[in-house]
This record gives sequence, C-alpha cells and structure tokens, in this order.
Amino acid sequence: MNSDTDFRGSAPDPDPPRPYHFPHIVRETLANGLRVLVAENHNAAIVSYRLLVRSGADHDGGNPGLASLTADLLDEGAGSRDGVRLAEDLGALGASLASGSDWDASFISLDVLSRNVDQVSPIFSDVVQRPTFPPDALERIRQERLTEIVQQRDEPAAIASKRFSGFLYAGTSYGNPIIGNSESVAAITAAAIRSFNADHYVPNNSSLVVAGDVEAAHVISLAREAFGGWKHGPEPVRPAIRPRAIEGSRIYLIDRPQAVQSEIRIGHVGVSRSSEDYFPLFIMNALLGGVFNSRINLNLRERHGYTYGARSSFSFRRDAGPFVVSAPVRNEVTRESVAEVLSELRRIRTGDIEVRELADTKNYLMGVFPATVQTSSDVAGRLLDMELYGLPQDYFDSYRENIARVDETAIAHVAQKYIDPERLLIVVVGSASQIREPLGALGLAVGEYDIEGQPIA
Amino acid sequence: MKIETYTLENGLRVVLNEDHSAPLVAVNVWYHVGSKNERVGRTGFAHLFEHMLFSGSEHVGNNEHFRYVQSVGGVLNGSTFFDRTNYFETLPSNYLALGLWLESDRMGFFLPALTQEKLDIQREVVKEERRQHYDNVPYGTSFERLLNLAFDPAYSYHWPTIGSMEDLGAASLDDIRDFFRTWYRPNNAVLTLVGDFAPQEARRLVERYFGDIPAGPAVPRFDLIRQPMNGERREVFASPVQLPRIYRLYHIAKMGADAWYAADLLATILTADKASRLEKALVVEKQIAQDVSAYVLPTEAAGLLLMQATAKEGVSANELEAALDSELARLTTGTISEAELTRAMNRAEVDYAHQVENYDSRADMIAMLATYFGDAGMMPRWLDAYRARTPEEIVAVARQILVPDNRVTIHFVPQESR
Repeated sequence: MNSDTDFRGSAPDPDPPRPYHFPHIVRETLANGLRVLVAENHNAAIVSYRLLVRSGADHDGGNPGLASLTADLLDEGAGSRDGVRLAEDLGALGASLASGSDWDASFISLDVLSRNVDQVSPIFSDVVQRPTFPPDALERIRQERLTEIVQQRDEPAAIASKRFSGFLYAGTSYGNPIIGNSESVAAITAAAIRSFNADHYVPNNSSLVVAGDVEAAHVISLAREAFGGWKHGPEPVRPAIRPRAIEGSRIYLIDRPQAVQSEIRIGHVGVSRSSEDYFPLFIMNALLGGVFNSRINLNLRERHGYTYGARSSFSFRRDAGPFVVSAPVRNEVTRESVAEVLSELRRIRTGDIEVRELADTKNYLMGVFPATVQTSSDVAGRLLDMELYGLPQDYFDSYRENIARVDETAIAHVAQKYIDPERLLIVVVGSASQIREPLGALGLAVGEYDIEGQPIA
Repeated sequence: MKIETYTLENGLRVVLNEDHSAPLVAVNVWYHVGSKNERVGRTGFAHLFEHMLFSGSEHVGNNEHFRYVQSVGGVLNGSTFFDRTNYFETLPSNYLALGLWLESDRMGFFLPALTQEKLDIQREVVKEERRQHYDNVPYGTSFERLLNLAFDPAYSYHWPTIGSMEDLGAASLDDIRDFFRTWYRPNNAVLTLVGDFAPQEARRLVERYFGDIPAGPAVPRFDLIRQPMNGERREVFASPVQLPRIYRLYHIAKMGADAWYAADLLATILTADKASRLEKALVVEKQIAQDVSAYVLPTEAAGLLLMQATAKEGVSANELEAALDSELARLTTGTISEAELTRAMNRAEVDYAHQVENYDSRADMIAMLATYFGDAGMMPRWLDAYRARTPEEIVAVARQILVPDNRVTIHFVPQESR
C-alpha cells in the first residue's frame, strides 16, 4: 500500500480494462432492396430512426441546392397531413423529425419516446414514401433558404468555408454550397424536386437504421409492414467529382472591413473514404490538428495565444473531400498564424514523429470510441457511416486493431503522400486594410476577392 | 436511477450514480462560483480562472491535464456560467483513479504551478474566445446588451460570463490566488461520479484523493437583490447585419419554483416547432419572420426567459415586434389546449431522456441539482414538477411575465450603408 505522502506524485495505474462491445447489429434486406439495420441501446427511453438515401448534393447537377431543398420539404406535408399537422401529431407522440442533405447523402431523422414506436412508424413511413411537396410550402421554404443565404454574408466562418470549397472545387458539386446559391435556389422548380425525390428516394438506394430502447425483432416487423410496399427503382448513377489541380500556393484575401479576427482556411483536396490509407491518415490528422492536444492547436493556442482554437480535418467523402486547417485569429497575428500552420504542414512530412505523441494519439482514438457511442443517436450515426461508405460488417470490432497497427513509418508515408505544403489554397476573411500588407510578406501570390468569390480588380 | 450522496469531513459533497451499461465513468466537479461572484473591474474573471485550471497543478505539468485524459481515451472540458464553474472528464472506467487524482490535484495543489506566463497566454486565448463568439459575429453582443439593460450595474448578472476586454487585461496573479483561496475549496464543491464503478471502491478512492484537502472558511454569501426595472427598457442598435432582429429578456421566477417550470413549458408552447404559437403565426402563416425562438436559462440567482425573432428582408423590427406581441396577447387573453401542453410535456420528457443517456450530461445535471438545491435526489423526480403544471397555470404565468414592465427589448437593425 502506498504511504499517504507519495500517491500524489505520479498518475495512478489503471485497473484492468473492462470489455466493451459495440451493440449487436441485426440486419435484414427487404424484397424491394431496402436494407434495415437495428441496434438495441437501453440507456434511455428513446428510439432513433434514420433513413439514409445514398444521394445528396453530389447529384445536384446544374441545380445547386436541389437535394437539400427536396429533403427540407419532406416535413412540410406527407400522406394526408400538412406540415403543421405533422408537427402536431409527432409532438403528441414525443417525436421530433428533421431532414436534410449532405454532399453524399440525404437523411431523414426521427427521435421518439420508445413507448410510441408503433404509432410513429406509419407517420415516418409517410414522410419517406409519400411526401406531398405542397406548392405554398415550397415557396415559403425557398424564401427561407434565400434569406439564409443573405444571412451568411454576415458570418465570417461561413464565408471562409464557402469560398474555400468554391475555389477548390470550382465547377464540381463539392464546390457549391449544399443549400445552393441565390440564383439556383430561385430557379429550382417543383417538377425538379418531385423528380429528384422519385429518382433517388427508392428503397434500393436507401437504408433504414434504428437504434435505441426497443426490441430488434419488433422493429424489423414494423419495418416490413411500413416499407415492404415501397416500389424499387433504377439505381441512380453517381457523377464523379473531378476537381482541377492547384499549380502553386495562393492566398485568397476577402475583405470584411469591420473584422476583429481573420478566419483562415488552408488546405487542398484530400482523400475519399474508400482510401486504403484511411486509418493512417485519420491518425496523422488527429496528431496534426484533429484533437485538442494536437500540434496545430498547441502551437497556435497554447504556445502563442493566437486563437481560441485551431484544427485540421480531412473530409472523407465518397469522392475526395477537402483537407483543411481552420482557425480564427486576431488581426495582428494573421501572418504569423498562417506561417505557423505552413511550418507544421512541412514538419509533419519530415517523419519527425515522437514515439509518445503517436502512442498518445492512437491510445486516444482507440480508447475514446465507447464514449462516442453512448446515445441511440450516436449508435445510429455509426450504422449510417457503415451503410453510406460500405464498411465491412466487422468494422467496429476490428477498429482498435486497425488503429493499433499504424506506426511512425505509415504516418510519415501518408503525410508525404497526401499533404502538399507547396500547393495550398489559402483563404483569409478579414480586415484587408490591416492584414493585406503582412500577408504579402509571406512571399505567396495574393489575390483579393469579394465575399461572392469574384476577383476585385 | 440509484443515487447516493454523502459529505467528506472537509465539506466536499459527493454524489455516486452507479451504472454498468458502458465501461465508462464520468467524473464531474462543480464549484459553486461563477461570473455573478465577480466584482466590477474584474468581469470575465471566473471564466479566465477556469482556463487557468487546465494549465497544470503541483503534480501535473502545463497541458498535461489534457494529455493524461486524452491519452487513455478520455474526453474532457470545463465551462463557466453566472452561478457555477464545472470541470469534467469521461474516462474508460478502469481509469477512475486517474480522474480523481487530476481533479484533486487542482483542487488542492493548484497555486504552486501558477506562473505569469501561463496567465498571459490564457488571457490571450480568452480574448480570442470573446472575439470569436461575441465581437466578430453578427448579433454577437446581443446577450451582453440584454443583461446590461435588464440588471443594474450593482447586480452581477449585469455582465456576461466572458467579461470585458479591459477587465480581462487587468487580471493579475494575485487575483487568481485570492479567487482560488476564496472559492475553490472542497466545502464549495460537488464531486459527481456516474458510471461503471463499485461504490465501496469509489468511496475509498474519493477519500484517498480528496480527504486531506483542507476545508476553507465558509464562502461569501451571494446576497445581492435585483432592483425592479420600473418600466420596460429598450434599445435600438445599428450594426453591420443584413436583417433586423428583435431580442427580448423577461424576468421570471427562480429555477425550482413552480412558475419556472411553467415558464419553461410556455417557451416550448411558443416556439418548439411548426405547430407552436409563434413559429406557426410568424414563420409559417404571416411569413414575416425567418426564425423565432424562446427558452429559459438554468440560472440560480434570478430566472430569465429569452426570446428572439429575425425579420424577413423588407420587414421592419417594429412591424415584427407588433406581430409578435399580438400573438403573445392572444395567448395571455386566451387559453392553452391540453394538446399543446401534452406536446410540451413530451418534449420535456425527451430532453430529459437525452440528458440521462450520456453519462457526462447526466452527471452534470445531477451536479446542478446538488449545487443549486442541495438535493441530487431530485434527478429521478425531475419531470414530476413539469407533470404537475396545468394549462390554466401556464396562462396565468404568461399573463404575469409577458408584460412590458417586466421585459427588455433590443432591436438589432442594419446600419445604413452595407
């Protein structure tokens, strides 16, 4: 036994680890091709329903915002109910409904008190299969959407992210805002929405995921009843995203005269979710800027006090999403912050990885998993990932092993392969009169643009 | 929900909620001090102090607190509000002792690790936090402005937790030392553990790590009394925003009073979804608002109901305010249906279920009840106070609070040139 004086000197040893198992997943594919996945989780009297449609803004084509406007209208009328009636009837069951699109998919989400699962099932089924798209609701939601686009002109973080994607993926759907732009949203027709819904919301392009306080067998039987009659259709063909290459690093400066901080985005095209390098990249990014104790955050925040928080991320989508470092920093240290990020991007490629920092990062990613899947909504989210990206059935069981086997060599390899500090797109939204000159001193090309991304002569 | 409460000899209150659903343990410490305990000239101090408590203690190096927790797969954070400051981590349950070691080291052995350099860095980080969340975003100073109007300067809800740039600049190491000695004592804290542990073993570890931290003198009592406003207070603020927005603050009963629960249900009835009063009238039918929301805050010293609505392009703040008030008048001069109350009640039940299903959010709510009401046992009974409310009572509360004399109104309007 420790004496009472020395137990404070160093961190206590852990007890033996206790086993963790991801909830058992029950799977069934209906005759119409709808895949149903159910995982029980009895932490609270809640059930999470998620319908995944494997088509999102990547299918917008010449109508940016089409997928998300279609999804947004699903709770505005379905079956015999209008939008207000849906809200009343769902509220009476303790259910809340949301729908929307991402780049790769559209989602309908419903959380309900578990005692009301039977009653909510037919309503959810109406929303999925029998949306009515009332013309007055379309016009109202269109106006809300246009107003939202106007509001984003006030938000520096939104401007920075939007322009970063716009410049990086110009001419492809990843370059458009998911919610569209003012011209496209004004032009989308009711017919386009109906046909997007008819073409993409088909059972063979969808998965139903249910997690929570309910018996799996019961959910499966409810699903057969509610979705068995859903007519399957042709499988939509996914357009590939082909961004153009970046020739050399360039700063895109966007003036926001009243700004007291600069919103910085630095990056380039990243990697798709199906990459065989996914795990080493995931760990490399965590170490670089993905967690609080990562290099970029410790540098900009804890060493220099330039920012409240800086981070890096790879958006692993069905095609290669962006790799981006983001930070809001005060005007006076904008140049220094960009320079520090560039130096971290160069350093991670040198293979200079400390044994301890890699071990800490891997231990974090392996150990934190159970804490991130406590709720029904968390569990459902993991199943959606599996379905959307075609992950193997034992994915969450072999997750720790896949992280454990990544070593320093693999980290250095993916850093060299996927991070290119000489071909970076750098967007800075800030007070140009204060930051123009310092940014110029970095020795990179600088161009000035308005908040719509048009060059200023 | 099994909840055990006991108190160590030094006054530290301990709450245990054993639950083996996941191999995790939430370790959560609430100190009963927040921005309302600050003095004029040192606003923002309680929150700056919270940052300092992550910068190491006698046996834990600078930034090592984060490293210890993250490197074993834990998640952690802290937060500051008017009435309290909390520090929490969720760890794999075999690391319970690590969490207790870390929290006890900063409760008992913080001051030896304090340096001017750490303070200077965190001061800059917090100033950036203020810029990011208040000064560089549209409508960012709305809450600060509401508080400035709603509370006289002598009452410390007059300023928000983030404080002013000037006061952040003035904070010194002596201030840190005084604040720590005054407030960060075991007799002013609640330690809550939720999750996968054996209660006997947890008690032994808690005693080991916290038992020898000396109690401090009794903490100063908060005895400020809010002065009545004597009429509505209004402000029109021109700023670089695209759309006008109306902000309202209403004074309500303190949390825990029947009228506070009624006000919480009222807020839901007003703005929870498309079927709610204000959203249906202003957003769906008249289409003069882009959005509308109302909610109560979990404050201890004084109750607050906040409301906001954004005008559509071409709609003035005055026009929107008139429509909002006429809809509120329809409620206060009319009735609430059983169906409306049932929906609001269901939502309270769903919110509670979401709070419970995570160990960390469950621990935080238990700690709140123990800190504000001295009764962690309220946790499993939380919804009873909502269930006891009637439509008539909610209308009566609405009639009492939704009056001009009881409110502050701010119009954020676009500057002339944009």
